[in-house]
Formats: sequence, C-alpha cells, structure tokens
Amino acid sequence: MTVDVRDGIMNRGLELFGLIDRLRGTPSDAEVEGLLSLLPPDVAANLGALIAPDVREPGLAFLDMLKTWMFRAKEAKAEGKKVILVPFNFPPDLLYAFDSVVPLTTEVLTTVASVALPGGGERYWDYLQSLGLPDHICSANSIEVASVLSGLDFAPDAIISAAPGACDANSKVHELLSHWADIPQLVFELPVDDTPEGRALYTRYFHRLIGQLEALTGETLRDERLREVVQGANRCTELFWDLFELRKQRPCPAPNVFNLFLASLRFCAWSTPEAIRLLEAMVATARARHEAGSYPAPEERARVMWAYTSFYFDLPGLHEWMEKRGYSFLADVLSFYAPQPIDDTDRDSMVEGLVTAAWEYPMNRQMGRSSMSAAWVSDIVYASRELGADCAIHCGHDACKQTWSVVSILGEELLARAGVPLLVLHGDSWMKTTTPITVIQQEMEEFIHNVVLKKKRPRRRVRRSRRRSQPRSGQSQSQSTGHGGAAPAAPPASRGTRGGAAS
Amino acid sequence: VAPGPVGPGPAQRADRSAPPPERRRPGGEFVTVTETETATETATETETETATVSGSALDEIRALNARVENEPVQAFRRQGRPVVGYACTFTPVELIEAAGALPFRLRALGNPQTDRADARLSRFNCRFCRACLQLGLDGTYDFLHGLIETNGCDQLRGMFENWQYAGALPFFHYLKAPHVITPESLDHFTLELWRLREALEDALGTRIEDDALREAMARQQRIRDRLAEVLRYREQPAPALTGSEALQVALAQGAIGAAGYEALLDRLLSQLAERAVEPGRARLLIGGAASDEPGLLAAMEDLGALVVSDTLCFGTRAFLPQRGVFHALAQEPAGRQEPADPVRALAERYLLGSRCPRMYDAFGDRYDFLREAMSRSDAQGVILVNNKFCDLHGFDNAMLARRLREDGLPVLSLEKDYGSQADQGRLRTRVQAFLEQLGGQQPLEPMGGAA
Repeated sequence: MTVDVRDGIMNRGLELFGLIDRLRGTPSDAEVEGLLSLLPPDVAANLGALIAPDVREPGLAFLDMLKTWMFRAKEAKAEGKKVILVPFNFPPDLLYAFDSVVPLTTEVLTTVASVALPGGGERYWDYLQSLGLPDHICSANSIEVASVLSGLDFAPDAIISAAPGACDANSKVHELLSHWADIPQLVFELPVDDTPEGRALYTRYFHRLIGQLEALTGETLRDERLREVVQGANRCTELFWDLFELRKQRPCPAPNVFNLFLASLRFCAWSTPEAIRLLEAMVATARARHEAGSYPAPEERARVMWAYTSFYFDLPGLHEWMEKRGYSFLADVLSFYAPQPIDDTDRDSMVEGLVTAAWEYPMNRQMGRSSMSAAWVSDIVYASRELGADCAIHCGHDACKQTWSVVSILGEELLARAGVPLLVLHGDSWMKTTTPITVIQQEMEEFIHNVVLKKKRPRRRVRRSRRRSQPRSGQSQSQSTGHGGAAPAAPPASRGTRGGAAS
Repeated sequence: VAPGPVGPGPAQRADRSAPPPERRRPGGEFVTVTETETATETATETETETATVSGSALDEIRALNARVENEPVQAFRRQGRPVVGYACTFTPVELIEAAGALPFRLRALGNPQTDRADARLSRFNCRFCRACLQLGLDGTYDFLHGLIETNGCDQLRGMFENWQYAGALPFFHYLKAPHVITPESLDHFTLELWRLREALEDALGTRIEDDALREAMARQQRIRDRLAEVLRYREQPAPALTGSEALQVALAQGAIGAAGYEALLDRLLSQLAERAVEPGRARLLIGGAASDEPGLLAAMEDLGALVVSDTLCFGTRAFLPQRGVFHALAQEPAGRQEPADPVRALAERYLLGSRCPRMYDAFGDRYDFLREAMSRSDAQGVILVNNKFCDLHGFDNAMLARRLREDGLPVLSLEKDYGSQADQGRLRTRVQAFLEQLGGQQPLEPMGGAA
C-alpha cells in the first residue's frame, strides 16, 4: 500500500506563494508577523528566517524569484510550452535561451518542500519508500521525483539527466522517473576525463543536447535570444564576485542565509531579471553591513566553510543559530561556483561559455573529475584560504556516497595544506527525521569550542617541571583533536592525491 | 595513510586455502553449503597450502577461489611476472594478458572485516568496496603490481582513490568508461583503451604487440564460449551444477591465467556431461549486485531452491555475447565487421554489450536480458539482490521488480549487507517465504518424540 501524499510540491508551493504575494512592497514587521501567524509553526519559522528584518529586502527578492519561477512553469504548461526538469548540476541558462522552454530544477523544488511546506518533504520520501526504493537514496532529488510520481502534481514534459559521471543516485532517480512516469529523458553525460579529449567530448554532447531540444520543441535556438541570456548571466557573474569580495571581510557581512539564496538562484534562475534583482539586493545588504561594521553577534568567533552541502530543513536552527554565536557560514560547494564571464561575440563563443559553465558547475567540478578527492580538496583549500576559514564542516548527507568515500582524504589534506580542521557530521540535508538540528548544533558547538577556538587562542606558557613533563601512565604523548573526523593536529606530510596541486 | 587499528599480520591473515567440504543431500548429488563459512574464516586460522587437485574440476575451482592469493597466482609471481588487479567488467583483460601480466579481478570472498577500510571509506559506503579496500590495506593484495581503476560506480571510485592515497601499489591507472552508448562515446572509449595500453606498456616495461593482443582476444572468446556452454548445463531441465557452483566457476575466471582457465573449463565440461544435481523445490534466477559470494547462493539452495541462471556482474553479464544494444549505433551485430584495429574491437566488445545498471538509456535491454535468461532456464521466479548502499542496483532492482510484477512474474527483492553473518538468518527467512509462495510448503519432518 502506498503512502497518500495528498498533493504535490508544485501545487502546494504555488498556494503558499499566492499567500505571500499579498505582501506588497516592503512589508512592516507587523505585516510579516501577521502573515507568519497564519502559517504552521515549521513553515513560519523558516519563512521568518528568510524575511527577518536584517535580510528582508533580499529575502523578499528570493521569494519573488521562486514564485516567478514556479508560476512561469505553470503558465508555460498551460500555453503548450515545454517544461523540462533538470538536476541541480545543469545550468538552466541554456533552457532560458529557448522561448518555448521553461526549466524546473529537481533539487530546488525539494528544497521548497523542506523549507516552505508543512512537514517538509517527508511525506514524498515515505511515498517513494512505499514504492520499494531503498532507504539510502538521495532525498535531494527523490522528494521531488516522488511528488511527480504521485500523479497529483505538475509533470514535466522532458527530463535532462546531467549527472551520469557525477552522481549515481541522481542519475538513477531521474532514469526511474523517466520510465515510471513515461517522460522522455535526454542524457547529457559528464565524461570523468579532465583531458582536452574529455572536455571536447562534453562539448559535442552539449551540441547534441541543443539539437535534441530543438527537435523536442520545434524551435531553433536564436543567437539574439542566446545573447540576451548570456548578458544576463554575465551580470549575475559580476554581482557574484562583488559579493564574494564582501564575503572575505571580517566580520563576514553576508548573512548566513545568503548561501541558500546563492545556490537557489544559480540552479533555477541564473541570467533572469529576478536573479539579478536578488543578487543586487544581496550585494547592497552585505555592503551596507560591512560599511556599518554590523554583525549579528558581539564578535565573529569562527569562520566556517561547509565542505559540500548544508542543512535545509531548519533555517533558523542552522543559520540564525550560527549567527547568534558568531559563527559565519562563509560558503559551501553549492554557493561557491566560481562563474566566469561569457564572451557574447558570436554563437560559438556563447555556446562555448555555456559548456564551460556546465563543466565547472557544482558537483561536476568536484565529483565529476578524474580524481574526486583531488578536485574537491583543491576547491575547498582554495575557498578556505580565500575566505579566511577557521574550520570546515562536512554535513555528511548520508546518501552522498561519493563524498563519503573520499572525505577522509579531504580532512587530512585540508589540514595539511591549509591548516583547516574538518568536522564530519551525519544527517540528511533535506529531512529532519534523520538527525535533529539540536544534535547538529551540539556537534558544531563542541567542535568549534574544543578545536577551533582553542587553536585560535594564544598558547599559554606553562612552566614545566621535570616531574610534570612525564606523560601519565597509559597516556599517549601525542595530542589528538579527536573530534568527528578532524585530522591530527600535527599535519602529516601531503601525500600524492592524484593531480592534487592546491590552487 | 595513517596506520589503522592493529590487525592481523601477513602470517595471520584470513585463511582461504582449505577447500570446503562437500555434503550430500539425501538421495541427491553433492552440494556445497559451506562456502560462506569457508570464505569468511576469521584471521585466527593458520595458512596451509592450496589443496591438491583431486581430479574434479569443481574441486579445483573451489580451491582456487578459497583464498585470494591462490596457487596459480603464486606460481605466476615465482616466474617474476606481474599481477595486475581490476574490479570491473569494463576492463579488457586481453590487454593485460598481452602485456605478459596476469589480470586478477578484485574480490573480497565475503570478508566481513572492514575496520581499516572504515577509517577511509564510511559506513554509508557499500561493504563490498570496504571489504576489498580492507584487503588492500591489510596487505592481502600486496601481490599486485598495480591496479586498474574504473568508474563502475561512485563508491568503487572512492575505494580506488583511497587505495591509491595509501600508496600501497606502484602502478595505478584510471580507465574511464562511458555511461552511454553513442558513436562519440565509442570513439572515446577506444581512446581510453589506447591510453590503458600505453600505461601498461610504461608500467610493465614491455610492448604490447597486435599479434599478442589478437591471440589474447581469441583465447578470451574461446573462454566465453565455454562459459556459455557451462551455462547451458546449468540451465537445462536437469541441471548439471548448482547456482553456487556456477558462480564458483565464473569467479575463477578472474583468479587464474587464461590458458589455465581454458584448460580447466575443458575438463569441467567433460565432467558435467555425466553429472546431475537434485532438481530442488523451485528453479530460480538471481540478478543484481556484484556478488562474489557463492555462499549466498548455497544458502538459498540449502533451502531447496536451485539457482538455474543469473544476471550477476560476476556471472553471465561478464561473458554472454551481446545483442540488443547495438541498435544505439543503428547497426546490428550480424552486419558488423570486426574492426582491423584490435583496440577498437575491444572497445566495441566491452562497451556495446554492457548490461550494467550504470549504463543509461539501456534499461530495456537489461530487462530483456533478464527475461531471456528466465526463458532459457525455465526459471519460476527471480531474486534480485543488492548490497546495502548500492544506488545503481538499488534503483535498477526496483525498476526490474516492478516490470516483472507487471508481467505477472514472481520476484523477491533482497537488500543485503555484504559479508555480514548477522544478515544470514533474515535472508534465509525471506527466501524460504518466497519458495513457499512459489511451490507450496515443504513438509516438516516430524520431531523426535513428538506426539
């Protein structure tokens, strides 16, 4: 017997955005309070964090971006346009260059469920489990896939499967959706080959995909429309790097929740006017905070780099909790995507720019490289240095088998090359039912208190007597940071990770 | 790599040398029911020499599989020749053979110990990968000259990266196999095989000649033909060997040189003609995960099943001729000419016929392959197994099971923890229930003294 999900993520999400849409302009605190009082507590808490007074302008721009994105898909469907479901590791820019195509991103819709729907995405997860799927698959994509499979929600017209080569779980769940819901699938493989030949093959696949989209829609990709999209993407890139420079400042002037905004806008709205407005609001907020020297806590105590994803089911429990303690969430792999400007001279240069964007996309440029560990280490070492991280945290999303299989190498290399200790947590990034936020907070607190802050304090001078300097019986002379996967305090010599030169 | 917990030294490692004793079913042929026990011996036993060949090819095969570094491997090394490890059916062993090396397919033989590997991988990674890495880290695989990594799955990649990070072997090469079949991917895989060829030449200080490569290819084709013949003995109405025995036969392919294996298969085939095993309560097909655990099948057969065919990675998927997938290139095998370039021919051989769930746009072919095996073997039901945390088979088994049910065919999906003895009771109960669904209850034998 299958679980009754009652309704789909798109339908429920659109209802909620219809309600939020009643907030005109910049609402007052009282208006926001009034709105939140109408919502279930878990939804109200997350939405409250998104439009808290200190992030209200960008928060509203973020909600507006999501609302426009979802409504656009609904209207497009009604107008006979094609709605194409893409995984998060595929840039939507290409699809925006087709007038008759609208992209939807699997993981962003799952995040909408986790953040903004009562009970999060758990009912969809349970539904998929009741269909006989294993319990170790990835909630990030399977929650939205279950929503489509329920038959109660909006169904896409086609799927682009872009994860073969970068993630088995992602690739397989989209294959399953294609078969079970009878939706055509366009496979866009990432060759795990960093050589020029591997890159050239990826380019050929990209051109083939353009041809498949043209065949699917009957629309020929036009240079003028492509140029508009590329110019929008370039504006996003410019704003991204403005914000990145601000994120380097101490204390970090970018609110922690900006990482969720950055990931979402890249994966569903990059190049669009809504994404540009959001980025402009984020830059303005961060700049104002930097100029005013304001920070949510009395002092910034720890600068944290998240090594892959973070947690999305309890925004105040993570972002606000960290800020109140003076822990800055600098970036994660999803919000640190290092976009590059695209040459809009001609079609070839524009397409080549989009291929590069896809090749360098989050997850693709780490887990889709010839060496997962070398590429991942290189990126995290670079980001940690650039942003001045004191420590790193791997959230340990339990379905993420690739990162779990090389996180030990990351921990050792990050400490050896950048002096940054790594905490390895365990939980499900999108569901609260695996590890509660209180446990995550406790683990972080212990790690930062016992490892990071102790390391930052000046060493106490201890007058040694001969007697005291002897180790106690049964105790090791070596010190161990000994916390959740942190590597030994004394960094080991770096050992040949393949191709693993740090940036 | 940082030293892990202190484990058994080389002299204390798991003894996988003794051939498993055979038991006879009442009134039936012998069946091996002790593979699990034998393959998962703890490290406390002492090593002994490999059992001498008694004349039965199956005995010899069991002895070969009973330990990782078996006698032929030792003999090969005594000649000063290198042994090169690989893990995936995308690896063309012909190239390794033509380089004068012995290709050895990684296996863990149900090894339940993963303490050292757990410090590198995690408990969210498949235990087969952890068990193999454990044997790499504890020195069991020190006889390898090098390893060929493939992107069979994400977790396999992680296993290889940690093995390489530990610096345990002098030679590593990463062979990247495409996930789709297109003219471009075939060209790229051909390039990849050329890269492998050059890497082997560099690492082994030799040159791979085309003639030697063609000879190795011809021998492997003869081996595949013989394995298909063994399969016919297994799938026939009165099978000549059990499923666990058949898996033993297939496993031996990656544990012995091609020439020796070919001769062994010839002897086996001559003996199978005179052999029959007990029919069992139900004829089953097993599909799914990479499983090098004959004990798993033996446990099913001990309950009365007879596993008459399979679609396992270590089983028929590795040797049956391809068909069906060629449509991706709009060409049928019958119309194809063997390419003049032997490397190109290998690329076609290994890429175009894969039935691995890592291949996309090919689910229909995998389902057809399974149904054909059911038809050939007259299997009454299907057991689909996958190791815990295996995404590829976890999803594919769910899809296969759904199609089978839609077609009205009995299927049991079993998720198992590789090598775990604690899992055995649960698995037996599930299989027993499935057998009863298929063929009714087996009469209980009266208990002594009962009224």
